[in-house]
Amino acid sequence: MKTILTLDVNGEPREVLADGRDTLLELLRDRLGLTGTKEGCSNGNCGTCTVLLEGEPVCACLVLAAEVHGARVTTIEGIATGNDLHPVQAELIRHGGTQCGFCTPGVVLSAVALLERNPRPTDGDIRHAIAGNLCRCTGYDKIVEAVAAAAQGGAP
Amino acid sequence: MTTTKAPSEQKVIGHRAPRVDGGERVTGRAVYPADLVRPGLVHGAILRSPHAHARILAIDTSKAAALKGVLAVVTAADFPVISPGTIIPFGETGADAWISAVIVLARDKALWRGQPIAAVAALDPHIAAAALDLIVVRWEPLPAVMSIAAAMAPDAPLVHPDIRPKGFDAGAAIPRNVGARTLIERGDVAAALASAAAVGRVAAVIDTGHQGYIEPHACIAEADPQGNVTIWASTQGAFQTEIQTAVLLDLPQSKLKVIPLEIGGGFGGKITVHVEPIAARLAQKCGRPVKIVMSREEMLAGGSGPAAAAEIEVAVSAAADGTLTAIEGRYFYDTGGLPGTPTTLVMQASAAHYQCPNIRLEGMDVVTNKPRTEAYRGPGGIQAAFAFEQAIDELALALPMDPLELRRRNAAVTGSTMPIGTPFPPLGLTTVLDSVAAHACWRDPLVAGALPRGRGLALGYWRGTSMTSAAQVMIAGDGRVMVSMGTVDISGTRTTMAQVAAEEFEISLGDVSVSMGDTKSAGYSDAAAGSRVGRTMAAAVSDACRDALSQLRGRAAEKLQAPPEAITYASGVFRSSRTGNASLTLFDLMRATLSDGAVIGRGVSTKLPFGVEVGAHVCDVEVDPETGQVTILRYTAFQDVGRALNPMAVEGQIEGSVVQGLGWALTEHFDYAADGRLRNASLLDYRMPTALDVPAIECVILEVPVPGVPYGL
Repeated sequence: MKTILTLDVNGEPREVLADGRDTLLELLRDRLGLTGTKEGCSNGNCGTCTVLLEGEPVCACLVLAAEVHGARVTTIEGIATGNDLHPVQAELIRHGGTQCGFCTPGVVLSAVALLERNPRPTDGDIRHAIAGNLCRCTGYDKIVEAVAAAAQGGAP
Repeated sequence: MTTTKAPSEQKVIGHRAPRVDGGERVTGRAVYPADLVRPGLVHGAILRSPHAHARILAIDTSKAAALKGVLAVVTAADFPVISPGTIIPFGETGADAWISAVIVLARDKALWRGQPIAAVAALDPHIAAAALDLIVVRWEPLPAVMSIAAAMAPDAPLVHPDIRPKGFDAGAAIPRNVGARTLIERGDVAAALASAAAVGRVAAVIDTGHQGYIEPHACIAEADPQGNVTIWASTQGAFQTEIQTAVLLDLPQSKLKVIPLEIGGGFGGKITVHVEPIAARLAQKCGRPVKIVMSREEMLAGGSGPAAAAEIEVAVSAAADGTLTAIEGRYFYDTGGLPGTPTTLVMQASAAHYQCPNIRLEGMDVVTNKPRTEAYRGPGGIQAAFAFEQAIDELALALPMDPLELRRRNAAVTGSTMPIGTPFPPLGLTTVLDSVAAHACWRDPLVAGALPRGRGLALGYWRGTSMTSAAQVMIAGDGRVMVSMGTVDISGTRTTMAQVAAEEFEISLGDVSVSMGDTKSAGYSDAAAGSRVGRTMAAAVSDACRDALSQLRGRAAEKLQAPPEAITYASGVFRSSRTGNASLTLFDLMRATLSDGAVIGRGVSTKLPFGVEVGAHVCDVEVDPETGQVTILRYTAFQDVGRALNPMAVEGQIEGSVVQGLGWALTEHFDYAADGRLRNASLLDYRMPTALDVPAIECVILEVPVPGVPYGL
């Protein structure tokens, strides 16, 4: 059954015809064309599809589209301001915290959510915040360094 | 070979350049095949075998085909029969297209659970899934062999009754289900073991491990009425995808174009095709673009090729002074449902970096009813090193001798004899071991904790391949350097090759762009595999830059009205020594001569000298004896890389692979039931390390240049 949902995606009001079986991930990728959010496992184990729902990181594959009617969703497409990268994004590049890039959007969302609630995290806080985001390329070190640098206003 | 600047004179190579394509990655703009949409796109889905070993008596697809919204159905009957030994180009040895064909679709028999049986294309994924349920397969289940021991038992059912085992002496007893036996032997191992002062013995059981790339296999295939097929792929080798798919479809290779998109990790698992030929055949049958995206469960449970399980027995003996006297190793590799583990290289990976007069290494490629295994970061070498290095430690305990000292005493050096009997090319092992000895990670005493703690040292060895790489360099109308390469970028290749081109032209990174070509615009290049792309693509890019520069020099001579030998080039500017030191920038030269014809530099590298890759890891752990929980306290990795094109990228490779190794050693395993079902086919239960499971990793990059290769890479 199809339903019209209205929601706020990256600050823009969206109205979208969703299938009752759609997850938030499918809504974003297949209905809205926001393919920056990647699909890694579809059952909430890898964190690749992390988005912010009302500011809190969630796995978009575990949320039904019908649940986000009227909600505020932030995806990777809404993190940079125009061409100005968010410090987390800029530092991930600078520190080599992105390799294949597939987990990167989810990592960015988790890190941005962390810095929103804890602007001065320890390395342990950072590791805890991204523990739900599996990365197979970096070994996590350079991601942790990048988020720490972003928290310190971009110092190396 | 071409000469290159000394490291101290290099201005771009050797520097920690951030990825040139980082912006796309951190903003989600990088495009992987699952992200792509084509006009009229439909969705493919694959029916997989529910049996580990079963004969396919009949497949009835009529009900599925009749379902509204289903556009095409394929089975093996839609593909040509490929015989074993159908060799297709790949590197120095070629590859067997039969392996790819069986991995892509079972024909008469399913060899593992999860092997594809049929596929459909439908208007949406829900219809595709419903159609799979309507395909009726009549099965004759057969007994399955799910372990090395079960496969080799005298009464074991044969997985491939037609395969003749290779490498056995005439009249020798041949175990069941062995594809090939390999033997490396010199000296008298039995006598040396019997008379040794000490012997270290290890019997290791290593579980199947998955490469764990975060991006599931995905592709889109599109066919036009003229018979041309285009595939957008996530692959380690666009040309390997093209060749395998062309043979499997019986399509002329020239009619197939593979466009490599971003690849979300491969680590060896994205060389063999899995979904591309199926998508292409479905697209041909229904005339619509077909997208196939595997689920994680499909990938883990038979849809992709993990790394082989192994059972390895090693005995290493030494004289009282620690000099090795014998190495005996038996290596059994569980290759899965099709033969083909390269055991020779595998065995070398464990023993090659030690000097020893008596060696006997025997390898068996054992076929079981598990998914066909594929490469993973030095295919097979990890398992072998894991066993062998523990045997060295056992020997150190038995002697007794400091484990580092024992390794230093017996380390292979430049010119010492490899197990295969030829001398080693320049080798950095001594440098690596000296560096370990001097480092705090080895010198600092292990601080006692509440739980038992220990420190481990292990060496690793791999022989990178050469194969072939091609690049072309064009000069844009504004004088900027545009590199197109025939390999994909799996590990920052665009960035490192931009560094090579910038170094060659003595310009800034920002004045170079590097792109991945597709198989109809780039020159043939083998896959990004075998630790080869950095070295061989750098050679190709370097040659292409020099070719372009020589063409530019001719033009500059004409414009500056001087003979070519009077023209010098430095940092983007041509100067004449004859005409009052007149000069032309690349921009000026191209602006003045663009319509004189394109400047296209060509670079092809092949059969380069191989670089021996050696490393040592030192790790401190704490173990809870009650729970078995292992905590990594400190990890230091030493690696001789020849020359680090980009130390930040090298660290990234090392750190990532360390964490993959920790996962395989500590938490990752394949839990197969007796009927071949994988009981942990999710990333919750196939437990890869998270950021909380691993410490910060210290990398020590050592650079012992490889002669005969540009920049000593």
